[in-house]
Order: sequence, then structure tokens, then C-alpha cells
Amino acid sequence: MAVVMLISLTACSTGDSKTSSNTQETTTNQSNEDTKDSGNTTINFRYWADNTDYSILMQSIIKKFNEENGKGITVVGEETPWDGGAYSENLFNAAMGGGGPDCATWKLTSTPLFMNNNLLANLSPYLKEWDGYSDIDENMYNVMKEASGTDDVYVMPWNVQVLYVYYRPSIFEAAGVEVPTTYEEFLEAVKKCTMDTDGDGKTDVYGFGMRGGKGGQEPWGSFIHGEGGNFEDLTSADSVKGMQDFIDLYKNGYVPPTATSDGYNEIIANFQSGLTAMTIHHTGSSANMVEALGDDVSAFPFPAGKGQWTSMGDTETVIFESCENKEAAFEWLTYLATGEGQKMWCEGTGNVPVSKTVQAGDYFQNDPFMKASIAGQSYAGILPILDTTTEWVSSIWPNTVGMALAGNLTAEECMEKLQNELYK
Amino acid sequence: MGAVQTKGDLEMVKKKTIWPYLLVAPALLIILCVVFVPVVNAILMSFQSYDLRRPNDIQFIGLQNYINVFQDSLFWKALARTILWVVFGVGFQFLFGFIMALLLNKKFFARGAIRAVSLIPWVTPGVLIGLMWRWIYDGNNGVLNDILLRLHLIDTKIPFLAQINTAFPSVIVAIIWQGIPFFALMILAGLQGIPAELYEAADIDGACASQKLFSITIPSIKNTIYITALLRIIWVANSVDVIFNMTEGGPAYSTQTLSVYIFNKGNALDLGYASSMAIIMALLLSIVAIPYLVSTFKKEV
Repeated sequence: MAVVMLISLTACSTGDSKTSSNTQETTTNQSNEDTKDSGNTTINFRYWADNTDYSILMQSIIKKFNEENGKGITVVGEETPWDGGAYSENLFNAAMGGGGPDCATWKLTSTPLFMNNNLLANLSPYLKEWDGYSDIDENMYNVMKEASGTDDVYVMPWNVQVLYVYYRPSIFEAAGVEVPTTYEEFLEAVKKCTMDTDGDGKTDVYGFGMRGGKGGQEPWGSFIHGEGGNFEDLTSADSVKGMQDFIDLYKNGYVPPTATSDGYNEIIANFQSGLTAMTIHHTGSSANMVEALGDDVSAFPFPAGKGQWTSMGDTETVIFESCENKEAAFEWLTYLATGEGQKMWCEGTGNVPVSKTVQAGDYFQNDPFMKASIAGQSYAGILPILDTTTEWVSSIWPNTVGMALAGNLTAEECMEKLQNELYK
Repeated sequence: MGAVQTKGDLEMVKKKTIWPYLLVAPALLIILCVVFVPVVNAILMSFQSYDLRRPNDIQFIGLQNYINVFQDSLFWKALARTILWVVFGVGFQFLFGFIMALLLNKKFFARGAIRAVSLIPWVTPGVLIGLMWRWIYDGNNGVLNDILLRLHLIDTKIPFLAQINTAFPSVIVAIIWQGIPFFALMILAGLQGIPAELYEAADIDGACASQKLFSITIPSIKNTIYITALLRIIWVANSVDVIFNMTEGGPAYSTQTLSVYIFNKGNALDLGYASSMAIIMALLLSIVAIPYLVSTFKKEV
């Protein structure tokens, strides 16, 4: 009986849908009838979508690829929530446990962890043979190489999201504020837009929707660089000054009191409800913003102070070393990077495409949020990619900055701790 | 006839057979796989620099993880918070659960339906409880702030989960809410086992309600209370889901109990450090668990 149970358990565990030619997947929205045909290759593709529209969009891209690729490749989509970065942790656990997908959407910050554990496939051999190679800027490949710490490309460029400042023109008008062009003007605008609109002595509109929860390090980085600081030395006088600006906005009531724990959902909801006049995010939320606010939403690139920086939210794709049909998986990744998949995804989500051909399209030349993104591209960057970055982003940064905002740490103490934890 | 044992009977008693072992084997095998192996693995990892972010540096480091843990201020704060979490969480669960059990033990209209409804918090998954209470407490759009404002009890919205001084009491309230039905259910079962004659005799003797409570009811369900409290102490101390889904241990670590700290460290892939804290926590919990195991063992013998 024990043997039978063991065999059953083993069968169950090995029954995880790895790449196979005749796999039937039950957890997907895709029709799998094609996979039953002999000679077909099934690729399991894990991705996250920020909302249901993007989820439907990705499913339609997968469907289109499956119908039109003509090479017998069937992509099976496995949607998993981003969950403030838990996506990457879950993906790592799945890959380490042997139950990971064949390929997945990606963030560069996860690269060292997966590289250290030899989980990613080297894409360089496939890129050399690919005729669409030059449609993506060489600089993008260089960034990918830098992230892997090798001379090879392990991560395929897909799209970028450049953070900019959303603002409500109606609130700017009521506060008598012009669109800021310098960092100092930006801080001033935050103060002026904080208003008691009904005269009851309480703040009804806060100037800025600060993100103090997970993911808040990205807009926070703009404040640090705005005062001339940088990520390499968070303890420099300029970096500390940027932190002090951040603390002062909270302490003086220019941001909602919930800022210490506000994440993506909260900053977007507060901006859309009119509780905040400005907030920082990327084009991934622009469609929802326009739907909710119509003309009463616009954007400007984060302005320059002593320095200027905005976060380049990168999204890529990878193939796992465990994938048994890497060529088929690569075919799918190229469809997302430069093919119809690139055009559909970037137009549908408002993300900045990496394909030069797609970038030249009318949609990207005329969109106001895309303009703010493109304006920010020249000074956009990413956090240092270290093996400590994931924990720093998910736990160290929100809690340490939370302590500083609550007055339990000074700006100097906070930055010292952040520096030590990032570079330990 | 019954007193005379035949040769055949004796052979049946003495004959060694493999069947009992075979029948127990599957359960034993599963327990070995899902309990024993992970525990041994955790103990081994706690003596290593087992950080998956740096897999090439994994090596045996003796007691260094334990030394680091004892020098970690976050560990001591999390431990102190865990004690408060258990004392207040389980304490109020017991108090309200006991009151609820006494009420549900009375005969009234629709008692069965109310008993069933009162179980809802207990059967709701911890993840959902966390999300639900997170929105109840929301500092901008939460229903609790709305009610308090309408009742004129506050004049400014309170960011319950975003302030260091309110976040921890707020998550404790959520865990109390979750655990009340379990206490109520267990105590109710105990109450229904008390013979009615005891109360009748007390009535004849002229005992008042409080005398009946302290001289009959509580002594009669003493063991039930003891076992239930022990189980809840262990479960609440180990609980991660409610806190993690409400605050993830923040803001500024103000809701980080030991189990949440272990979970966060494990998520950060520093498995050696997380394991050493888990072993320490297991040892601390065993102080509570051993009396329970001893009492269970005595009963079985």
C-alpha cells in the first residue's frame, strides 16, 4: 500500500505540466485542442497582469500567436498576480522545486538570484540567429548583459515603463499652480495643492500621493536624486537631504496620513478620488486614469533639481534552463518583443515599446502619457541590481522609511540603514 | 469456558505478524516525509549560512546564526510582540468565547441558526480575514472610520494600519474576532456535558448565578478550557496569514511578530537565519505544548 501511495504521489508531482508535446493544461483560459495534435509543442508561459483588461489582452495575444505562428507552437498562459513583488519569489520557488514554467515575464532585479542558481537559459545563441535582432536598440541588450553579470543575454527585452507625475489640472487650477519645471517648484506645488476645500479646518486634498508601502522606493528615488544624491552613496549629504524632503512632506501633512502603508492600489484610488493632486506611476495605469477622470488628468516628467532621475520600470521575458523546447519558447518571446504581440501589448497597456518599428507608430507619437514617458527616458534608471535588492525592496525599504516617516529614525539614520542593508 | 485458554488462542496472541506494521506504514511514511524530514532539514539549515541568494557561499557555520539572532534587535522586538499577540489575542478570544458559549447554551428562538452563523469567523480563511479587515480599517475609505465619523466619536479619519501606535492593536482585534467561535464551540460542548442535576441541587441550596458559575460551571469545563487555550496559544503564536495580509509586518515593523519575521526572512531566501529563529520559536512553544502532550498521553494510558 505504501508503495502504491508513493507511486501515486510521485505520479502527481511529476504530472506538473512541464514542456511536453501533448500536455493538457486545465488552469488556463486557452483552448488546448490544438495541443492534442501530434507534433505540436506546448510552451507554459507565466505572466502577471496589472488589471483584468491587461489579463484579457494577454490572453488575446496568446490566442493570436497560437492561431498564426504556423509552427505548431501552443503557448499556455498561466496568470499569477504581481502581489508587490511576490510574483518573483513564487516564480523562484516554483523553478527551484521543479514546477516552474518554460518562460515568464520578468523584472531585472530578480536576475542575480536566478542566475546564481543556474535557472535561466542563455539567449545569446538564439539572438545571433534571429533576423529581428537590430529592431531593438543595442543599449537594451547591454542593460540585459549587465543585469546577468556576463557577456551573454539571459533576459529578453520586452517593454519599459518610465515613471512620471500624474496631476489633476482642475486641482492645479484651483490652487493656482503651474506645471512644475524644477524640483523646487515641484515641492512648492505639492504644498500649494494641499488644501482645505470646504473650510472645516481639515485637509481635503493632499498635494502628493506618497507611496510608503512596497514599491515606494521607485518614486522615492526621484527625491533623492532631485537633491543631487544617488543610490551608490545613500549616506551622502545630498541623499540625506532628499530623504529629509520625503519625511517633511509626510510630517507637515502634505501627503495622506496613510502614506506609510500605501501601495499601488491606494495611491491610484486616492488620486482618482481627488484626495491627492499628484502621484507618481507609469503608463501601465494611464488607461484606467483616463477612463476614471477623462480630461482631468495629465502628466509631466519628474522635474530636475540638482540631479534628475526617474525609475525605469522594466519588464522583460526569460526562458528557463529547464525548458525542453527553447527554440519554440524563443519564437514566442520574439513575437512579444518585436512582432504583433509587442504592438498589441504596448498599445493596450500604454507601455513604451522596445521595438523601433512599433515606436514609430502613430499611437506612440500622439499619446500625452507616452510623451511624458519618452521625455523621462533620457534620465530614467533602475535600482542597483544586487542579490540584496529583492529583500531591500520588499521589506527593508518600506519598514525603514516607515520608521523615518513616523519620527523613529532621523533622515541620516534611515539612509545609513538603507545603505548598509543594500550593500551588505 | 472463558477462563480456559486453548493452545490455539495462545498461538494467536504470541504469533508475530507483519500486518500491523504494514497497516501503519503509509501513515508513518507520510509523517516522516511531511514532518520529520522538514524538521531535520530546518535544524541542519540553522547551522549553515543557507542563503539561496548566495548559493556558492553555503557552508556550516556552527552557532553563528543563533548568535546573530540573539544580537538582532528586530528578533527581540518581534518576540515581545508575539507575547503580547498571544496574551491579548488568546485572552480576549477566551473571554468573549466563554460569554458567547454561555449565551448559546440558553434556549432561545433560532438558536441553531445563530450557532451556525456565529461560526463564520472561524471557517473564513485567514487570508480573507486579513483582506477584509484591511479594508474595514482603511484610513481613507474604510467602513470603521465612516461609522466612527457618523457617530461623532472621531472628527478625523484614523489611519489604523498606517500608524505605529494603532496598527498592532488593530491586527490583534482581527485575530480575536477570528478565534472567538472556536473557544465558544469548545466551551459550549463542555457546558452541554454538565449534568443538570448539579444546577438543580445548587438551586435547592440557594446558590446565586455567580456561585453556580464559579463552583459548578468553570470547574466542570476546566479541562476543556485548558486544552482549548493551549491549542490556541500554539496556533495564534504561529499565525502568519492574518498579519501578513493586513500589514506584512509593517508599518516600521510595528506588527512583525516572530512568525511573520521568520516568514519574511524565509521569503528573502535567508533560510539559515529563518530556520534558526524557527527552531528557537519551536523550543519556546514546546514549553506550552509539553504540558498538553503530557496530559494527552496520560489520558490515553
